[in-house]
Amino acid sequence: MTKLSTLAALAELRQQLAAARSAIRQSVAICSSTGCTLNKSNACSQAIASELAEKGLEGEVELRRTGCYGFCERGPVVFIQPQNICYLGVQAKDAAEVVEKTLRKGQVVERLLFKDESGRRYKTLGEIPFYKGQKRVLLQSSALIDPKRIDDYIAIGGYSALTKALFELGPEKVVDWIKRADLRGRGGGGFPAGVKWETTRNAPGDVKYVIVNGDEGDPGAYMDRSLLERNPHSILEGLIIGGYAIGAHQGFVYVRQEYPLAVEYMRLALEQAREYGLVGTDILGSGFDFDVAIHRGAGAFVSGESSALMSAIEGRVGQPRPKYIRTSVSGIWEKPSNLNNVETWANVPLIINNGVDWFRSMGTEGSKGTKVFSLVGKVRNTGLVEVPMGITLREMIFDIGGGVLNGRKFKAVQTGGPSGGFLPESHLDLKVDFDELTQAGSMMGSGGMVVMDEDNCMVDAARFYVNFLAHESCGQCVPCREGLRQMLHILDNIVSGRGQEGNIELLEELCEFIEVASLCALGTSAANPVMSAMKHFRDEFEAHIRFKQCPALSCPDLLHYRIEPDRCPGCQLCRKECPTEAVLGKAKAVHVIDQSKCIKCGNCLRVCPEKFLAVIKVPGAAVGQAASAA
Amino acid sequence: MASTYPQPSHGARVDVVVIDDEDSIREGCRQTLESEGYRALVAADGAEGLDLVKRARPRVVLLDLRMPGISGVEVLEKLPGIDPRIIPIIITGYGTIDSAVQAMKLGAFDFLTKPLDIDQLLGVVDRGLRKYEALVSETAVAKPPPMEAPKPSEPDILLKGLETLGQYYSLGLQDHTLAGELRALEAEAQYHSKVLGQIREKEKAIADLLADLRLVDEIVERHGFRKSALIQILLDIQSQKNWLPRHTLLWVWRRLNIPLALIYQVAQFYEAFSLEPQGRHIVQVCMGTACHVQKAPEFLATISAVLGIKPGQTDSKLLFTLKTAHCFGCCALAPVMRIDETYHRNQSLKQLKAIFSSCASEQASHKESEQVRP
Repeated sequence: MTKLSTLAALAELRQQLAAARSAIRQSVAICSSTGCTLNKSNACSQAIASELAEKGLEGEVELRRTGCYGFCERGPVVFIQPQNICYLGVQAKDAAEVVEKTLRKGQVVERLLFKDESGRRYKTLGEIPFYKGQKRVLLQSSALIDPKRIDDYIAIGGYSALTKALFELGPEKVVDWIKRADLRGRGGGGFPAGVKWETTRNAPGDVKYVIVNGDEGDPGAYMDRSLLERNPHSILEGLIIGGYAIGAHQGFVYVRQEYPLAVEYMRLALEQAREYGLVGTDILGSGFDFDVAIHRGAGAFVSGESSALMSAIEGRVGQPRPKYIRTSVSGIWEKPSNLNNVETWANVPLIINNGVDWFRSMGTEGSKGTKVFSLVGKVRNTGLVEVPMGITLREMIFDIGGGVLNGRKFKAVQTGGPSGGFLPESHLDLKVDFDELTQAGSMMGSGGMVVMDEDNCMVDAARFYVNFLAHESCGQCVPCREGLRQMLHILDNIVSGRGQEGNIELLEELCEFIEVASLCALGTSAANPVMSAMKHFRDEFEAHIRFKQCPALSCPDLLHYRIEPDRCPGCQLCRKECPTEAVLGKAKAVHVIDQSKCIKCGNCLRVCPEKFLAVIKVPGAAVGQAASAA
Repeated sequence: MASTYPQPSHGARVDVVVIDDEDSIREGCRQTLESEGYRALVAADGAEGLDLVKRARPRVVLLDLRMPGISGVEVLEKLPGIDPRIIPIIITGYGTIDSAVQAMKLGAFDFLTKPLDIDQLLGVVDRGLRKYEALVSETAVAKPPPMEAPKPSEPDILLKGLETLGQYYSLGLQDHTLAGELRALEAEAQYHSKVLGQIREKEKAIADLLADLRLVDEIVERHGFRKSALIQILLDIQSQKNWLPRHTLLWVWRRLNIPLALIYQVAQFYEAFSLEPQGRHIVQVCMGTACHVQKAPEFLATISAVLGIKPGQTDSKLLFTLKTAHCFGCCALAPVMRIDETYHRNQSLKQLKAIFSSCASEQASHKESEQVRP
């Protein structure tokens, strides 16, 4: 790699790369993101590579390890171009067939295509219902980019937004564009990024910093991980442009250490960009100097808060501070520091390249552009989806997501993670944007969307978030530390059947108090999950308190497992699957559960074949059952 | 990497002592060096300078040759007596090149001419510090570690001892006095072997400790002795050692001069750090929302029952530590667990057991290969 010292050198390199690309007849792209790796995509890719070598196709077919396609559940995803064929769940044993049939003869391997419940198969990516309703802007051209190769990004026009910013627009115009595009922060709050940039740009002082917030602590969301693992360069490019517009010469990328692959790819991207001179001194001969350092988070949700993240970068404990002065004026080492979420930065090159009007053409009045959501939980097609702002929840869950898993009844969707709330069926036609969600008592958050069905207990779900927040509270301010602890205590009592009359009112009081009196956003928004659960599912709370029953049959202390003698054929499946040997019974004889040994892991219910349905959940604790440790 | 953010000082150790009678040179040097993050101290004459060097033990000494009282040459001659590794650098005026040459002969590392050029000054000091570090590691290497001292092998000693003992026995059987002596000797030998065993244990413990401290040094150096890299340094130690032993934290304190309480605050605040030894394999079950609604608590209960430990515990063989994690971002595949670096979905009990036993056997074969090595 030689350093590109001028604009022309970059253009020349891009031309060379594009020419080399057009010589390739076919390409196979295999996802190598965390999700597909879990589904053994490495073995699959190796098998295809050796198959290609054996058939002598190496020169004609390019094999590429790419980032996430979003359809992680059906991985490994294999994408073949130019035919646009999308295979799902491809394993090493399928490699020979894919190479022989598709790559040599141009035929389609039917059984690897996506199949809907009516049995219909879909050949291309765009046809699959999961992708059909999406508007993929940030997630487009996944198949063309190996996150480990900067050349792939440059070949498809990467870093052209940077050159446009450096040589055509100038810093004032860049800030103006981001402002006019009305790009709102994708990390949760939805604060206008352009306004933030302008504040930092106008703040006094020569030394300024720009920061990528990749501390995606929100449980149940993985947009940022996926973006970092898909194309780290687009985020880096956004950051450099931001640094240039704001007048910063040092950037930081903060990534959670729980995402080892994202850290590795970002590190590699930075190295390559530095070698090309896209990071460093006098970038492309523009006279602009900019360097970037990577900082790994160490596992604390609250460290994703801007002031906390900045003290972590300084090497101190990542705790928030009162923000009498905004971090955009006084952040890292008390210098003006502009922090944006991964997805916000990734949007920047797109806006610079395609223009303000293009960006404003998508979305709603108050929220422009697209948003990436992680659509997970009890939904048929789970994965990462990108949609224009303003799409309804119903379209997302039922059209893209294909409805609730196993034909169960929809109960609620949780958006915004621990700071957001639950939305019941009556809210399904809500348009998803920053303001609508906040109005409905939830939040956009970073884009987590967890679907719950009738088997999920809402009291338990509320307890889940309070438990999470109580553990993640940094403990500096009393309302958050003690308030959450007391709320957890009350909710623990309710889910284990020890709830008392008046608990709901007490929870409401605590919620109000935490919301008003806490230091940072972790506390002030902590009440949302509990408040919304109590608002929409009050009857479930009451059932737990008054009748000591869990209507969803989910809370382990309020149920036990039983084997129906007249339905049990004695097939031994559940006995083999029980980790504590609580299931007793010989082959072909009726099985029984030794309740004193049962830990309620539910494995017996899970494996009992559909034709028997002998294992059932029964409300109430079993006689002689040791109370599980709360 | 040329950073625009401030470089904190290189720990407690003084880097440079400047001995010069001219105020402007002395203070100029000090300010230039400190602005680059070095720790510098100054002295106005030879006597004060020598005293300062004795107390502060710097790595590099900048020394003016012409001073009232004790001359620079005399100071130069006395430096090796204080610490032979100190790097002396001479400051000399125009036209006194001869004395500089003389000084070089007396062992000066390099010389600077007045008026001082800032880049030159920093360049020479930087080279001097590198040279010092090289000398330190040389001397460290030169000293043979206690384990490798030449000595007869243990089986040799044992054989020889048994041989001698056998001879004593054949003598002692017929002689009561000798038999008494022999018993005394035997007792003494047993005592010595016990002590020897204790010494060996201590030697091993010290060698382990030393290896840990060297590891910390290496990590701290990789992060440029920056105080702001504390979290990154602890993450690196954690990934190498699987936990943060107290002595490593103490060493970070010595190296970075960050209060120990602050280091503990960071180590206790973050989930990633463990202040207790952990099993060789870390089993983490994801407790994220997506996993939670897909029965992660039940999944955790199963794993806990299979491993026989509760979340947060380590088994008695130090093989597995079971932990919960907030979210791996594998939400579409929920529920998920991670063993070390590998992710797994929920599977049948038989498959889960197979995964854990393959981890355990990996451990066993690892142990064997360790024992085979000399």
